[in-house]
Amino acid sequence: MQLTAFFKDARYFQIIFQSVFLSYGIFFLHWDNETWLYATYFITSLFTQFVCEWVFGKKDVPVWQRYKRGIPSVLISSFGLSLLLKTNYVWVAVFAAVVSILSKYIIRIKGKHVFNPSALGITAAVLLTGNAWISPGQWGSGAVILFGVLSLGFIVTTRVQKLDVSLAFLGTFAALLYTRQIIYLGWPMDYFIQSISTGSLLLFSFFMITDPRTTPDHSIARMIWSAVVAAVAFYLATFKFLNGAPIFVLVMAQPLVPLLDILFKARKFAWTSSKKYTQQEERFLQTIYSRSVM
Amino acid sequence: MKKKVLIIGGLIAISPVLFSFCGFYVSKADGTLKNKTSQVILVRDGNKNVITMYNDFKGDTKDFAMVVPVPVVLKKENIKVVDQSIFQKLNDYSAPRLVEYWDQNPCYEYESMKKSAAADKSLNEVVVTSAYGIKRSVRSVTVEAKYIIGEYDILILSAKESSGLKDWLNENGYKIPANAEEVLDPYIKSNLKFFVVKVNEKEKQKLNNNFLRPIQISFTSPKFMLPIRLGMANADGDQDLIVYAFTRKGRIECTNYRNTSIETGKNIPLFVQKNFNAFYGNLFTQQWKNEDKSVSFLEYAWNVTPINQMKCDPCVGNPPTEQDLVQSGVWWLNGKDWSDYSDIDNDEPDDGNRNVHFTRLHFRYNRKSFAQDLMFQVTPNTENFQARYIITHPANGDFSCDAGKKYLQELRQRRKKELQELTRLTGTDINNWQEDAMAKNDEATNTDIQYATLIPEYKHDVENKSSAPTGIILLSAAVLGAAGLMRWKGLV
Repeated sequence: MQLTAFFKDARYFQIIFQSVFLSYGIFFLHWDNETWLYATYFITSLFTQFVCEWVFGKKDVPVWQRYKRGIPSVLISSFGLSLLLKTNYVWVAVFAAVVSILSKYIIRIKGKHVFNPSALGITAAVLLTGNAWISPGQWGSGAVILFGVLSLGFIVTTRVQKLDVSLAFLGTFAALLYTRQIIYLGWPMDYFIQSISTGSLLLFSFFMITDPRTTPDHSIARMIWSAVVAAVAFYLATFKFLNGAPIFVLVMAQPLVPLLDILFKARKFAWTSSKKYTQQEERFLQTIYSRSVM
Repeated sequence: MKKKVLIIGGLIAISPVLFSFCGFYVSKADGTLKNKTSQVILVRDGNKNVITMYNDFKGDTKDFAMVVPVPVVLKKENIKVVDQSIFQKLNDYSAPRLVEYWDQNPCYEYESMKKSAAADKSLNEVVVTSAYGIKRSVRSVTVEAKYIIGEYDILILSAKESSGLKDWLNENGYKIPANAEEVLDPYIKSNLKFFVVKVNEKEKQKLNNNFLRPIQISFTSPKFMLPIRLGMANADGDQDLIVYAFTRKGRIECTNYRNTSIETGKNIPLFVQKNFNAFYGNLFTQQWKNEDKSVSFLEYAWNVTPINQMKCDPCVGNPPTEQDLVQSGVWWLNGKDWSDYSDIDNDEPDDGNRNVHFTRLHFRYNRKSFAQDLMFQVTPNTENFQARYIITHPANGDFSCDAGKKYLQELRQRRKKELQELTRLTGTDINNWQEDAMAKNDEATNTDIQYATLIPEYKHDVENKSSAPTGIILLSAAVLGAAGLMRWKGLV
């Protein structure tokens, strides 16, 4: 059961891919002088998760067991912060990590947490502390192929059903950019390609907005919602020169999700697969996905 | 008569005809510094911008002209000329630096001597030409404003379509590169105006100097960018650009290209001192190639607030004074607020904060690697950075004591490592440096530890060594990752 669960649980693949991205940054893009920052995100997140599980968790299972189950999600959130959020200060990093994890426990509607943990952590750190920032240009163009291949690999291997979110977001965003840059302004193609191939955008599309717990359950609602996020992000990025717009817009759009869930009645998120799960596996996956994917 | 035009895309760009004068990339003896280095000072706080463009034009000033895309129609009080020396000061102060240290003889008690010396990198010229003879306006081009400022005649144009603008510029004696249209069109549609400059001969004669002063413009716009694309319209070579930026909050960084710092804090052989410019030129080129070219290089970042004492270690030049900073356009030091500086609405309240953060970025761009104009953001990153290379003078005297013998052994290893660092950083063969290494009497008296002795030995070592450190690191990372995964599996 453990092995099948491992291969069916998208979170493990996500952790592998994110750690590859981070290693790429550290070894090839010289992020090695920021290791203290990554360590702070990981240690704080893991600690906060433990405290939260102790304080807020359901008491029917021993705390260690509950904590262990949540670890992959915590790692994913920590990777999310490490890959996107920069700061000079330890306290800012601690703040971002605490906000990320704590939000999963205290901002909940109908048993679903409202915000994507790392997106909220990033937004809070950038807007509230004034000492953190997002570096949209940190990946360079060399990373694109790596991103493309790995993201594709991620999709193929996990058959994530919420791929529609990524495609609706990326499709809308790219279409709007194309219309603006190529059709309207008349820039050559490489101008557009450079805009669309930033690592941060792809990371957001495939690993952040896809979080199944913080997107609408109904597939049409989900696609509309994600296209709207893309359109607003495009507007803010293009006309208001806002860096990291998709992340901020995502955080603003997440409180709409419970509303959309009421308007569009749908089966609650369940991990479907070509193979039927045993009852035991089903229960296991349900437990896992009562926590976030990111 | 049709003459040549310089188009500056935020900076100085060059018309094709021009290359026939200065040739491509006139490089130094063994260095690779480009002779086309533009310099620009950017000052940014909130939505307020001050841009100062260095004018290194040499030649008949009648042939000078430049075109800069700007986001707004500038008023006369938003344009001024400033003292040329400011660029030299900023460059001297922020340039990559060489530091010297002196070893102590462990067998004696020497007074420690520490002296810092620096060799700065001199920037080469941007040469540009053009010409004039303004005729009346052509279709779809509006002359929004016309000023005489200092030695310059300035026009601000807005256009409806690129062909109109192109015709206008051509008919008025500016020779626009053939494929400039690909850039002009997007600029016009982005609602940019065109700031067109030529020299007013009458005003120029009054000044009694033989150079053209930098032009400084100030405006309010959320766009924080430098339009380099216009400058590339017909230049298919590489151009260097140095950006000196001043902000209140922290470093600036590029948002649409990767940011990286130039390698710093490395110990290099003593003989590099004589040829530091070539060393840094090679180092820059090497790193630029390794980083896939489309990169913004950080060369310096420091808090240079006038009350802040410690501004570099060591300082290559004098730190910019308050007056220099004001001259560069740092308006918040002026005791005046922005609305005094220009008549643009002061949309944000001034918090009275007098901090000044200095960032020096170095770009080497060409059409292929830089498809987009440079976009920037001000970050709250206040970390200091300087490009700094270290040379160490050996101790001399009698080394017969045990510590002395140990010292000689260590020095030998250290010097070998320096040679290794030199070839790695510059991407050059050690043979290129052999002459430098031999030419001067080595400060180390013991022949055993002289560079001249060590170089053949170093060459021998290199030939016999096959190194793959990155491969090993990656492999171990992969193994560790896999092991970690197995553990996680156990956790479930």
